[in-house]
Amino acid sequence: MITPLPRSRRSLLSALGLAGFLLLWELALRSALLPGSLVPLPSSIPGVLAAEISDGIWLEVVTASLSHYSVGVLLGSLLGIAVGVAAALLPVFDALHAWLARLLRPIPPLAWIPFAIIWFGIKPSAAAFIISIGVFWINYFASYSAVRSVDPGFDEVAQAFGQGRFLARLTKVSLPAAAPGILGGLRAGLGQGWMTVVAAELFGIPGIGQRMMEASSLLATDIVVVYMLTIAGLYAVFDFLFMRLQRRLLRWQP
Amino acid sequence: MTASPTTPPPVLKARGVRLGFAGTTVLEGVDLDLHPREFVAVVGASGVGKSTLLRALAGLFAPQAGTIEIPKGQGDDTRAWSMVFQAPRLFPWRRVRGNVELGLEGLALSRAERRRRALEPLTLVGLEDYAERWPHTLSGGQQQRVGIARALAVRPRVLFMDEPFSALDAITRRRLQQELVDLRRRTEAAIVFVTHDIEEAVLLADRIMVLGGQAPGTPAGVVATREIPLPLEARRDHPDFADHLQAIEQHIRGGP
Repeated sequence: MITPLPRSRRSLLSALGLAGFLLLWELALRSALLPGSLVPLPSSIPGVLAAEISDGIWLEVVTASLSHYSVGVLLGSLLGIAVGVAAALLPVFDALHAWLARLLRPIPPLAWIPFAIIWFGIKPSAAAFIISIGVFWINYFASYSAVRSVDPGFDEVAQAFGQGRFLARLTKVSLPAAAPGILGGLRAGLGQGWMTVVAAELFGIPGIGQRMMEASSLLATDIVVVYMLTIAGLYAVFDFLFMRLQRRLLRWQP
Repeated sequence: MTASPTTPPPVLKARGVRLGFAGTTVLEGVDLDLHPREFVAVVGASGVGKSTLLRALAGLFAPQAGTIEIPKGQGDDTRAWSMVFQAPRLFPWRRVRGNVELGLEGLALSRAERRRRALEPLTLVGLEDYAERWPHTLSGGQQQRVGIARALAVRPRVLFMDEPFSALDAITRRRLQQELVDLRRRTEAAIVFVTHDIEEAVLLADRIMVLGGQAPGTPAGVVATREIPLPLEARRDHPDFADHLQAIEQHIRGGP
């Protein structure tokens, strides 16, 4: 049997693991086990970050990426939830779109880049579009299966208490009952969004991705790492805030 | 036909009800006149169609034939009928009070009236202090009491109860049966109560409708209807209690 560690001990070990990794990395470079052209020195990162911030570049690209990200995630989530819930509740709509969804689903978001450029140009809206596609599918499937697996007994209760009409059932049964699944999809979409941000900016739309491309073409790996960590940090902040919201919305769960 | 002034019209009238699924008939020939404040228990072997009949009477299941009428209640702040289910089926995302308010939503009630109307039945079932609790923090018996409060809140003329105590432990079941006896004095509702527990039926009902198979391979029907003219107080101790019990058992086994 696996006995879980106490929480404080677990955190301590996690911190030690991370510090150990950074230390090994630093030592490997300093002892010339690794060539310095491949990866930067970890100890150089804070200085590079400070320089990026004081030049105003960091804030500029982060703001740009954040705006692509927010619009893409918001659009993808809203549409994904709306279509997923509608498909789960309306059999005719479900049947009508089933094959279309099966056809479009396997196409990776990045495969839409040509169309994004044709439709939107090299503009922030093109990046937001690419981001929204990945987020859409995650939310679509999460909402669809969450609504489909709602206990039909709840619908009977709604009907027995005069709440059997579509709108009443939607707001009083389907959405609240499916909320855990829908929120799970939203959270996964928040993560997926960051994964597409960089790729969506690679073709020239200003943002973190473009800055990373520039840096890597100059072999400035330290700058690349600064923005990798920036994305990790932003993701952590968003995920933390969302988890708090999720916990509040689902406080009725045992 | 018009009712005479002394006998008020039935609150539920069913004629020639036939029920089934996909071409096969399970139950047929059900007639029922349910009178105001009357308590009718429906008993029968499992699979005979008791719960389906209850759903059909409530309009949650379409009969293959026959008519079912529940005249509309008075005023727009009540509902003609409501139901207590076998499992409490409370909405876990609503607090206890929110669950009891469910049937009141959409009626002509202000928010404050709705709150008050929800607290009334919660007080009746002794759970007024639990109004702000989440359902999962309640015991099974308490949850079923909330289910009963939810059904009473709409002041139904007909209350359908589908084996409401069968999922509870013996002690809780007994306590809730007694509470239901007490509740009947404080509500106007007539009750149709489905149970597989004959003793429970004899304990609670004014009249018992026994469903059973007429011949192998044919649909079930009403094999007997029996009045239980015993006082509700201490029925179990009444000398005739055992006779009624035995008679119903015999009907279910297919005896005379």
